[in-house]
Amino acid sequence: MKLILDSEKCTGCKLCELACSARHQGVFNPKKAHLKIIDHYTETGRETKLKSCTLCMKCVEPCPVEAIAFNGKWLVIDEGLCTGCGDCVDVCPEGVIFLNSEGTAAIPNFCEGNPYCIEWCPQEAIYKEEEVA
Amino acid sequence: MSYRWEILRVNLSAGSVVKEPLDKDWTEKYFGGRGLGAKYLYEELEGSTDPLSPANKLLLATGPFTGTIMPCSGKLAILTKSPATGAILDCSIGGHFAAQLKFAGYDMLIIEGQAESPVYLVIDDEKVEIRGANHLWGRGIFETESQLHEEHGMEARVLSIGPAGEHLVPLACIGSEYYRQAGRGGVGSVMGSKKLKAVVCSGSKDVTVPDMTRLLELVKKTIRDDVLTDTNLWVHVEGTPAIVEMSNSSGVFPTRNYQDGVFEGAQKINADRIRQLQPKKKACFACALGCGNYLRMGDSAVEGPEYETLALAGANCGVDDIEAIIKFNAECDNLGIDTISSGNVLGFAMEMTEKGMKDFGIRFGDIETYLKMPRLIAYREGVGEELSHGVKHLARKYGGTEFAMEVKGLELPGYDPRGSWAMGLAYATANRGGCHMSAWPIGDEAFGELDPFTIEGKAQLVITGQNYNAIKFSLILCDFWALSMDTMSEMASCVLDRDISTADLEKAGERIWNMPRLFNVREGFEVAADFLPARIFQDPLKSGTPAGRVLPREQFDAMLQEYYQLRGWDSKGVPTPEKLKELEM
Repeated sequence: MKLILDSEKCTGCKLCELACSARHQGVFNPKKAHLKIIDHYTETGRETKLKSCTLCMKCVEPCPVEAIAFNGKWLVIDEGLCTGCGDCVDVCPEGVIFLNSEGTAAIPNFCEGNPYCIEWCPQEAIYKEEEVA
Repeated sequence: MSYRWEILRVNLSAGSVVKEPLDKDWTEKYFGGRGLGAKYLYEELEGSTDPLSPANKLLLATGPFTGTIMPCSGKLAILTKSPATGAILDCSIGGHFAAQLKFAGYDMLIIEGQAESPVYLVIDDEKVEIRGANHLWGRGIFETESQLHEEHGMEARVLSIGPAGEHLVPLACIGSEYYRQAGRGGVGSVMGSKKLKAVVCSGSKDVTVPDMTRLLELVKKTIRDDVLTDTNLWVHVEGTPAIVEMSNSSGVFPTRNYQDGVFEGAQKINADRIRQLQPKKKACFACALGCGNYLRMGDSAVEGPEYETLALAGANCGVDDIEAIIKFNAECDNLGIDTISSGNVLGFAMEMTEKGMKDFGIRFGDIETYLKMPRLIAYREGVGEELSHGVKHLARKYGGTEFAMEVKGLELPGYDPRGSWAMGLAYATANRGGCHMSAWPIGDEAFGELDPFTIEGKAQLVITGQNYNAIKFSLILCDFWALSMDTMSEMASCVLDRDISTADLEKAGERIWNMPRLFNVREGFEVAADFLPARIFQDPLKSGTPAGRVLPREQFDAMLQEYYQLRGWDSKGVPTPEKLKELEM
C-alpha cells in the first residue's frame, strides 16, 4: 500500500498529521505523525508534497533485533523485541518513524489498510494505492 | 491540557529569556488571543508609553484551541500599543506560527526592550536564543524567510519585518509564510523599533485535551456539518474576492478615496477575474476551509489579492488592472506594508493632487506611479517620506481632514458606512480605530436583510457583533468560520473540560470588549475619538442603492449614545464602575 497526495488539491492544513498523531499516539503533535505534508513558499514558487512510508524497507535490515517485518501490505513491528535504539528512525528517508512515549519505535502501517488521515482530509487530496510498484 | 501554562518572556535590552507561569485565573476570564493579550498588555504597560520606545511590548498570544485539531484555530494574536493611533492594537495573523509556538511549549511570547543592533529570536522548544541579524537587516520578508529556512529548516515557522518595519513606518506589518500578515496599525514598526528582524519557532511537544476521543468525534462531525457548508464554503471556492461583487452591487465599494461606492472597473478585479488566474488554495494550520488564493501573474506571485487589497489598493486608487494590483500586493508583502492603509493613503494623496490642494505627484489610475509607491513608502524616500506617516498626519499638515478616511488614526478598510450605517458605528467604536475585524454588521445590512439606512436596533447589532468576535478571537477561531454560540460553547466545554455555557461566553465577550476600551480610556480616548470622517456625514454617495445617502450626523450621534448606554458606559464612553463590577474586572 502507498499514500498518494494530489498536490493540486492539498492546502497544507495538516489536519491529516494531527489526526494521525491523535489516533496512534493519543496526542496532537505533527512530529509524531506517520505522514508529513510539506507545503511552503520559496523564492521561486510553492512546493507541496507528501512524505509517508514508501515501503522502501530501509528500516527493516538495520534493526538489530529483527523487530520490523513486511507482511506483504505494510510494515509490522514486534514491540516486545524493540529496544528503542532508534536505528530505524535514523534511516527512514521520509522521516515518518519516531519513538513513541513508551520508547519503542512507532512504525507506519497505513492504519492496517484504512488510513485515518484519508478520512480527515477536507480536500480529498490524500488517497491510497493498493498496488505496490 | 491544551494550555501549556507557560509564558516566554524575552527582554531585548537585557538579552534575557525567562519562562514564567501563565495566569490561570486570567485564562478563565479572557481565554487567550485577543482577550488574554489585552489583559496582559493593560497590566504590563504604563499609560502614555511611547509605542516606539523600549517600554512598549509585543505580545504574541495563542489560544486554548491552538495546536489541537479544532478547525480554523491556526491564527496568532499579536498585541501592542499602536504607533499609528496611540490606542491598543490587536492583530491576527494566519499561517502556522501559532501552532509551532504552542508545540514549543508556550501559550504566549512577550517581547520587551530594545536591542542595540539587529537581532532575531530563535525558539526551539526550551532552547531560546537571541542572535545577531546583521545578515538579514535590510532584506525583504521573502528573502528573510528563505534565508531563515535555510538556517533553521523548513519546518520552523517565521515572523519577520521588511524594510518598512525597519524604517519605523506606521503602515508597517509583520509577515509570515510570505503572504500572511499581522497587517494593521504599524505593528511591524514596533518590531523594528526593538531591532527585532524575525522570530523563528519550531516545537516538538505534545498538545492534548482531557478527552481526545470525544474531541475527535466532535470535530469530525463539526467539520462535515458546520464548517464545510454553504455558509462557509465561499471562502474556499472564491475566497474574499467574492466580496467585491457584493460590495460593488450594494454601492459600498470604496472608490477613488471614498468619493463613490460603485467602481466601473469592478468586474476586472472581482472573484471571476481571480478564478481565471487558476489559484491554488492555501490554508492555515488546522483549517478545513483554506481561503488563500496562491497565484502568479506576470513576474509576480502572491497569496491574494484579498478583498481589502482589491478595494483599497484597487478601486480606491482608481486601479482596475489586476496585474498591477497583484504586483502592488506582492511588493507590499515583501516590503512589509499594510495594503489597506497604503491603498487608503494613496487614494487620499490622489484626491489631494487632483483637487490641487497638495501635489503628491500621483493621480487616480496612474499605475506607473502607483507601483513605485510601496518602495518609496517603505524606505521613506521622496514623496514616500510624507505618505509613510498615514492619512491623519497628512491631513493635519496639508488639509483635507474632511476626506481623510480614518478613525483614531487608522485608515478605513473597504466598506462605506454611508450605505451601511451600523458599519459606521462599528468603525467609530472599534478599539483599534478604523477596523473591520471588530464587528461586521454590513453582513446583516447592505449584504443582508436589514435596512441599512436606519439606526433602529443598530447599536445592539454592533454590540452583539463586537462581543461575538471578542470571544471568538480570544478562543482563536477564524473569522471565516461562521459558527453559532452553541457550537462555540460545545467546543470550548470539550477542550477545556468544564461546562462553558453560551451565557458564559457572551459575558466573557463583553468583558473582553471592555478590556481594550479601558486601555484606550487610560490613553485619553473618549467620545471625541469615537468619530467618523466628515465625508461620511456630508458627501452623499453617487451611485447604486445608497445614491444620495450620507450617514446623517445627528443619527450617528444618537446611535453612539444608545451604544454607550447599552454598553453600560457613561456619556463620554467610559465604562462605569458598576459595569466593571458586573463583569468581574
